[in-house]
Amino acid sequence: MSSRQGGKLKPLKQKKKQNQDLDPEEEAFKEKQKADAAAKKAMMSNIKSGKPLVGGGKTLRKYKIVFLGEQGVGKTSLITRFMYDTFDDNYQATIGIDFLSKTMYLDDKTIRLQLWDTAGQERFRSLIPSYIRDSHVAIVVYDVTNRKSFEYIDKWIEDVKMERGEENVILVIVGNKSDLLEERQVTTEEGERKSTVLNAKLFIETSTKAGFNVKTLFKKIAKLLPEFQDAQTTPLDNDKNDKKPGIINIAAPDESQQTSGCC
Amino acid sequence: MFSPSAPDLSQNSGELNASEPSFASDEGTLRKNVVRNNGQSHHASPSKRPKSTILRENSGGLSFINLYYDSADKDDDDEAQLQHESEMNSYKVDQSNSDVEQLLQEGGPMRLSARDGSNSNLDDSGSSDALNTAGLLPTPESESRSSQFLGSASLIEDAASNSVKNSHLDRYGFMKQNQYISEKQFNEWWTNYSKYCIRRKRKWKDLLLKSGLPVDNDSPTRFPSKSEKLKRYVRKGIPAEWRGNAWWYFARGDELLSKNIGVYDKLLTKINNPSFASKDTEIIERDLHRTFPDNVHFQKSKDSDEDPLTIKSLRRILKAFAIYNSKIGYCQSMNFLVGLLLLFMDEERAFWMLVIITSRYLPGVHSINLEGVNINQGVLLLCIKEYLPDFWQRIYSNKTHRDSGKINNKNEFLYKLPPVTLCTASWFMSCFIGVVPVETTLRIWDCLFYEGSHILFKMSLAILELSGNNLPKAHHMSNKNADDEDMELFQAIQTFPKQLINPNDIIDKAIFKRRLKFNALNQDEIERCKKYVISQRAKYKNFQEVMKNDTANSSKRDSVLAQDLINETFSNEGYGFKKGLNGVNWNNNIKERVRRLSRKR
Repeated sequence: MSSRQGGKLKPLKQKKKQNQDLDPEEEAFKEKQKADAAAKKAMMSNIKSGKPLVGGGKTLRKYKIVFLGEQGVGKTSLITRFMYDTFDDNYQATIGIDFLSKTMYLDDKTIRLQLWDTAGQERFRSLIPSYIRDSHVAIVVYDVTNRKSFEYIDKWIEDVKMERGEENVILVIVGNKSDLLEERQVTTEEGERKSTVLNAKLFIETSTKAGFNVKTLFKKIAKLLPEFQDAQTTPLDNDKNDKKPGIINIAAPDESQQTSGCC
Repeated sequence: MFSPSAPDLSQNSGELNASEPSFASDEGTLRKNVVRNNGQSHHASPSKRPKSTILRENSGGLSFINLYYDSADKDDDDEAQLQHESEMNSYKVDQSNSDVEQLLQEGGPMRLSARDGSNSNLDDSGSSDALNTAGLLPTPESESRSSQFLGSASLIEDAASNSVKNSHLDRYGFMKQNQYISEKQFNEWWTNYSKYCIRRKRKWKDLLLKSGLPVDNDSPTRFPSKSEKLKRYVRKGIPAEWRGNAWWYFARGDELLSKNIGVYDKLLTKINNPSFASKDTEIIERDLHRTFPDNVHFQKSKDSDEDPLTIKSLRRILKAFAIYNSKIGYCQSMNFLVGLLLLFMDEERAFWMLVIITSRYLPGVHSINLEGVNINQGVLLLCIKEYLPDFWQRIYSNKTHRDSGKINNKNEFLYKLPPVTLCTASWFMSCFIGVVPVETTLRIWDCLFYEGSHILFKMSLAILELSGNNLPKAHHMSNKNADDEDMELFQAIQTFPKQLINPNDIIDKAIFKRRLKFNALNQDEIERCKKYVISQRAKYKNFQEVMKNDTANSSKRDSVLAQDLINETFSNEGYGFKKGLNGVNWNNNIKERVRRLSRKR
């Protein structure tokens, strides 16, 4: 089991509690609010000017991505890392569904990702189907330090396939918490194997704590979207990439990134 | 059977009983309250203790930074503030002293630790040293936690509210700042709201005195009988220090506890048994540290790896509840309910409050199939349709047009809930914890325990109405955009309430404005509505099952017919709300005017 649940690691929040941090925090907060407001404004102006948001041409295309997986595997953490590039040892448990959206620029193209963060406890599963129904991407997350969460991904994927049909959704499997080397219970090979069996388009291991592979994950997902399928011109990014859209092989986690990465 | 050791308690319970003769029959309860006093109990001898701390002992709960002052002022005028400011100044000295004193006395949460299991029979005649060596007294931890308070309490300089003003934490130990509210915004609000709280508390004191109820320890355990006046007082907010007791009183906790004396202890012995295992245990463990991680009472101290006492209580309550009510077991969101309760009352009371919430206020909402959630959403949708028709258009009717032009039956939304309900589902599951800022949540809880669960629907309507003004304008464009509109709507409804920092914005302006039509919404109406939704959903379910059995040998034509049949069956039975009488409103209006006039005089 992950120590993140047991919380052996010092929470980063301790820093925040010191008085002197007030100003930068306040500033960061304002900046974030500004950015949010700007994004909203841009969106609104699009709406006002009557530009269709969905459809062909150069307009902003939206993609719905739903995050599934057992409780505490790091779904919220994954989203927060992607959205704000921050990490916290303990996130509040998600009740029901949270919705966030983020604009992503890649290869001169802009897309808008709508991220649906779901509650992990089994009984919430009955509430979620309608959200899976029209999503483009389903990311099923497990915790590499918790075998149970790995075994449960079959169930989640079954749900997705039932609601959406295998052809209509891009299935992604993510093994999170790869920084916890000593507590690992699921090997990368096992993850890969399962992804092949379950016919996932992408398998990747991430560490939201170290900030490892999170951006890559979203870049690779974007590459799998129809928007980028038409013209696969530029390479993904600098790190070892594997252009074929099948299973993406993630070699042993990058040591240097892990040790340096704690924020 | 778990027996809390008497010697330590006798001093306390004696004192408490003396001040509360009506509780004599519940002596055992009172004692336990002291025992389980949530880690913040003060074990200094009573004589040394400032009066105000005794109350907190009784009310359990963690100690807040107390911003109130004692005042014999009987003035009932809301506007008589100047005078109070000066009183506040004299108060601050007293209070800061007693706060500090009280904080210094913290560090004796041994009774609570004893609940951890094997040591349940520890007699307190042994010195605290003995406990220390037994590893039962997490002194470093409690010291470091109380230092949070010490730090803030010592910052009291020119006004009582400054203790909160100069901290990064609010008076309940939550971080002031979050993703939606900056610390500056918080402080601006708090400057005024703290004055409001002081004013309200003075009024509460007067009310209690007039009703002949004791307040001396700043911990009343009995409150006046229900009346329009008391309802108004509750709606305007119960004083924070009294909340635990008031909730317990209004939810009739004693009634339940007196029927179940010793039950919680038995549950604890069960879960403390090493061979105890439950399927919920792991799920509970996973959520413990994901419960209010931004609250100081739920955080580990820097130099200790041990769980804070609040987390320990939380663990015990959730585990005990899972075996007490196996139909529910553990459901995410209960961790937040208990977490918030633990800030205001002791462990045993928090447990029984959870029992009360899950059975009386939110029946079925946390059960395994979450059917109660769906029922509540159905009721809410009916309410929206009735009371917020414009909003209803936006969440529902554009969808109907979209669905291939087919006219759906009137009540389809009751079993095919529109997307927005996944956002509002959590409003009910966690009773608005995390949905609105904590002070607003607490004000909602005040009303909830006094008035009943219909308050949750009223609040939801109020929030939706308020957020309606902030919603992007409906753009009636192509069908393609309907989905985008859903998203925007969802985001607005999810984000807007988190910024509702001033509870009065929603409670005074939205809920209790007389002109608002959903004032007619009462508990009976909600119960009636609920029955209707339940029957509709059951019908649909039966129908589906019948159809499922038939699908094997039925053609497409049959299923179309069946759909028509469903539509017919359900659309004939729309739900009718009782209409309020105009005359009543008119009378109320007059009443209000007279009240205002007499106040002016």
